[in-house]
Amino acid sequence: MIKNTPFNWIMLFLSSLVLLFILAPLVGMFMKTGGSELLETINDNDVRESIWLTLWVAFAATLIFAIGSVPLAWLLARKRFPFKKIVQGIIDLPVVLPHTAAGLAVLGFISRDGFLGKAADAVGLTLINNPAGIAIAMAFVSVPFLINAARDGFAAVPERLEKAALTLGASRSRVFFTVSLPIAWRSIMTGFVMMFARGMSEFGAVVIVAYHPMIAPVLIYERFSSFGIHYARPASVLFILVALALFILLRLIPARKKEIKPVSDAEA
Amino acid sequence: MLKLENINKKLGAFSLSEVCIDIREGEYFVLLGRSGSGKTQLLELIAGLTNPDSGDIWIDNRKITGTKIQNRNVGLVFQDYAVFPNMTVYENIAYSLHSVKAKRSEIHERVTAIAGEFNISHLLNRSTIHLSGGELQRVALARTLISHPRILLLDEPLASIDASLKDDIRRLLRKLHKKGLTIVHVTHDYREAVSLATRVGVIHNGRIIQTGTPDEVFSRPVNKFVARYSGIRNFYRVKLVRENGILKARCDGTGSFVIKESSYPAEGIMIIKSSDIKIHTSEPTGSFANCFKGIVKEIYPSEYGMEIVIDAGEIFYVDVPSDDYKLLQIKELSEVWITFPADAGIVLEGTG
Repeated sequence: MIKNTPFNWIMLFLSSLVLLFILAPLVGMFMKTGGSELLETINDNDVRESIWLTLWVAFAATLIFAIGSVPLAWLLARKRFPFKKIVQGIIDLPVVLPHTAAGLAVLGFISRDGFLGKAADAVGLTLINNPAGIAIAMAFVSVPFLINAARDGFAAVPERLEKAALTLGASRSRVFFTVSLPIAWRSIMTGFVMMFARGMSEFGAVVIVAYHPMIAPVLIYERFSSFGIHYARPASVLFILVALALFILLRLIPARKKEIKPVSDAEA
Repeated sequence: MLKLENINKKLGAFSLSEVCIDIREGEYFVLLGRSGSGKTQLLELIAGLTNPDSGDIWIDNRKITGTKIQNRNVGLVFQDYAVFPNMTVYENIAYSLHSVKAKRSEIHERVTAIAGEFNISHLLNRSTIHLSGGELQRVALARTLISHPRILLLDEPLASIDASLKDDIRRLLRKLHKKGLTIVHVTHDYREAVSLATRVGVIHNGRIIQTGTPDEVFSRPVNKFVARYSGIRNFYRVKLVRENGILKARCDGTGSFVIKESSYPAEGIMIIKSSDIKIHTSEPTGSFANCFKGIVKEIYPSEYGMEIVIDAGEIFYVDVPSDDYKLLQIKELSEVWITFPADAGIVLEGTG
């Protein structure tokens, strides 16, 4: 319980201001959107398709990039190597870049002149204006969230447990899959949800790579710039509701996993 | 059986230097040292978790210095057990058997058998998260011993256990040793060495400074550090002199002690065990090699009963069992006499 002191009241007041700042615009938007408008939007094929596209592309991007991100996170948590700090800086780079600039960088990479674009072209795939291109743009700006959360998760696994597994005859890969990964699992799942959510909400980088097919943030922007706030709002509300529902669902998954508290390392 | 030959290993600012240990089959070897003395690092070297910069490790006359951890057949139990929190007790114990791809039926049979032996059958299906220290220790031991290692390495096995359960685990360790298991046990507590070891090694700053039977090490410590380890608190800087043909150790202060003839250095540190000194409330009659009059300065409860601090020119720490203390009826500032035999004083090299 918070004690009834002037200091606590000031802290509480300032905290409430920030919470209000986050909630007020959202609540306002929900209140201004009527039920009939929302129903109409649900029946709008374009909106439904854009939301579905946003969800599956963001999910696929997260899943595919997890394959490389989890090992990278493990390396960062467990190994010492030259230029490790620089590597860590590079990973955080997409978070600080303006997202339109990130989109331009990705565009250069996946356009027909770019390295990845050429490779895709060779197998008859065009990445621009394609879900694959969208996934790459989403991953570019969101993958640091997964890597950093997973790295913290691996770092929190007591090394003694891994050493104990080795002395019990396990190979390095068995130690990874039976000890390190399960114990870091909660953090990895948190990173997974963060990356998915960040990818799903991306606008700046995606709009440069693919205006069509339209993901929900681009559709909302397009409706706003073409028809005004009244047309854009119901689509926003619907997208927020779907995203929220999914977010809560995904949060429940790691919470249901067995609670694992890594014990602190004892003195060497 | 296990032989460490001139092991050197640098670990940051700390290093293990010229470590040589020879452990025989069936021995219970206790390696005694403070935190940060290199005990754990030495166990990790034997287990193969790290490799020495130079020197060799032999098990059964087979050089295993570069051998993979998985092929060393050495069991290591960590200080806080390192029981896997994401597995049940059963899965923990069965872990090493999966490493060698044992059959499911064989795994079940062996896990059940060893769980019975360690009194943890009732815990097999439990998660390890809410187990007590003693239970975790049993799980860790069962998990290590199920694969029949040639040698068992224990890192501070009693340090994280409640005092009431220590006896229980000590008995278990003695039982394992009686069955012929070779054990290397590292600890900071000399009482564990006294109660369990067949041989003791003392490690300080990455060097082995003395090895021998507990009696040899604790009765004849090679220096003040080892002496302190065995609970000795009476240290006096002395020079040896001969007066009327009697060998005496003359202190820097006022005291002069009669000591037994031995090949002691001409000067050094003299130690006397607190339990070798007797307190008398009146001047003792009879002949004593060393008898001094003093004043009781302080009285503290100690694990042996009472610790009496006496100023008799030099300061003496004397251990008195509780019953004897009651009979003595002394208090602070009481006048007392202390006596100790000539062979109670041992002179060590060094200036302390």
